[in-house]
Amino acid sequence: MMQYRPTAAAMLIATLLSLSSQTPAAAQSAATLEHGADFSGVWTNVNAPGTAEWAIYTFSEELPAMTEWGRARFEASKPQRGPRGVPVAETDDPVYKCFPPGTPRVYLHPFPMEIIQLPGRVMMVFEYDHLIRQIYTDGREHRTDLAPSWMGDATGHWDGDTLVVETVSFNDKTWIDRTAVPHSEQLRLIERIRINEDGNLQIDLRIEDPIALEEPWIARRTYRKTDWTIEELMCMDNTTYEPFENLVLEHDQESD
Amino acid sequence: MRLQIAFCVVAGFMLAASPSSAHHGAGLFDPGETVTVVGTVTQFHFVNPHVLVYITVTGEDGKEIEWAGELTSPNRLARSGSADVKWHKDILRVGDRITMTGNPARNGAPAMDITKIVDANGVALIGGAL
Repeated sequence: MMQYRPTAAAMLIATLLSLSSQTPAAAQSAATLEHGADFSGVWTNVNAPGTAEWAIYTFSEELPAMTEWGRARFEASKPQRGPRGVPVAETDDPVYKCFPPGTPRVYLHPFPMEIIQLPGRVMMVFEYDHLIRQIYTDGREHRTDLAPSWMGDATGHWDGDTLVVETVSFNDKTWIDRTAVPHSEQLRLIERIRINEDGNLQIDLRIEDPIALEEPWIARRTYRKTDWTIEELMCMDNTTYEPFENLVLEHDQESD
Repeated sequence: MRLQIAFCVVAGFMLAASPSSAHHGAGLFDPGETVTVVGTVTQFHFVNPHVLVYITVTGEDGKEIEWAGELTSPNRLARSGSADVKWHKDILRVGDRITMTGNPARNGAPAMDITKIVDANGVALIGGAL
């Protein structure tokens, strides 16, 4: 198994960060601090052939089978994207109030992410609203002392060159996708992340929620590596778009 | 008006995955229709979530209409490979003469999802080679 060893700079950063982290890096064995592969870099989504139309707002061409609970919430929602899409002014999509899209929906927003690997930790830094996921690979258990969260609590381990991530402890304020597929606090996400034969980052997702979904929602997202840097992208700037959309919508009213 | 606002209904002409459509439902703009207007830039906002361009177009009757257009995010435009040239915050200035092409609003509002911009020198800033 190829072992990715962090650079001296990364070690220094990790040491500094560990001063405030729950488990000091020094307490972990060397094996759990090393990584099975190097995912470092800025990645951008690539759509598989034939998926471009829907891959920007959901995880599969067909909706997942929802429970009665899930279906009721889905039908009561007004998503901005997908076949039931309404104008921004009419949507109840929490992201348009600048709440975080959460995990895994953050993968559906068309902005890059940077992966930074530190000893015992893989960090995903998303350009969208500068959200981060911290995937601890140092063998720790999930936190039980904190309330459910937007991005969830992620732990991972290396299965050879594949990073296997389990994320739990989600709040139920987000949608799984941009078409309003809902989830409960029992959402559990399993991801297998690896560099595939094309050199792309492949993320296989298994989205489980016995309250909202009849069966796990299986999906794949693929990213290509870029030479970009992560830029600033603040959700609150979205208000700059309102006058433009209003210009179109108000034209409707003038015509009535 | 007719000379400068040429409606070209070209069902097949559509930039694949026009990036600026990311923000909206399919309803606002008609991807099956294309409009081209020539005018003078009155506002240029190189801001998230979408770059906005406003131009004043003078019709044959002398009346001015302000057209508004949206593009993708500035971060994306500033990255090489996403447009014909690398965009920056000063690529368009108030007073610049440009030709703006895009998918117009379904309801007839003078607004578009921009697919192409050509500057006064005939250089495509986006949508030329893509």
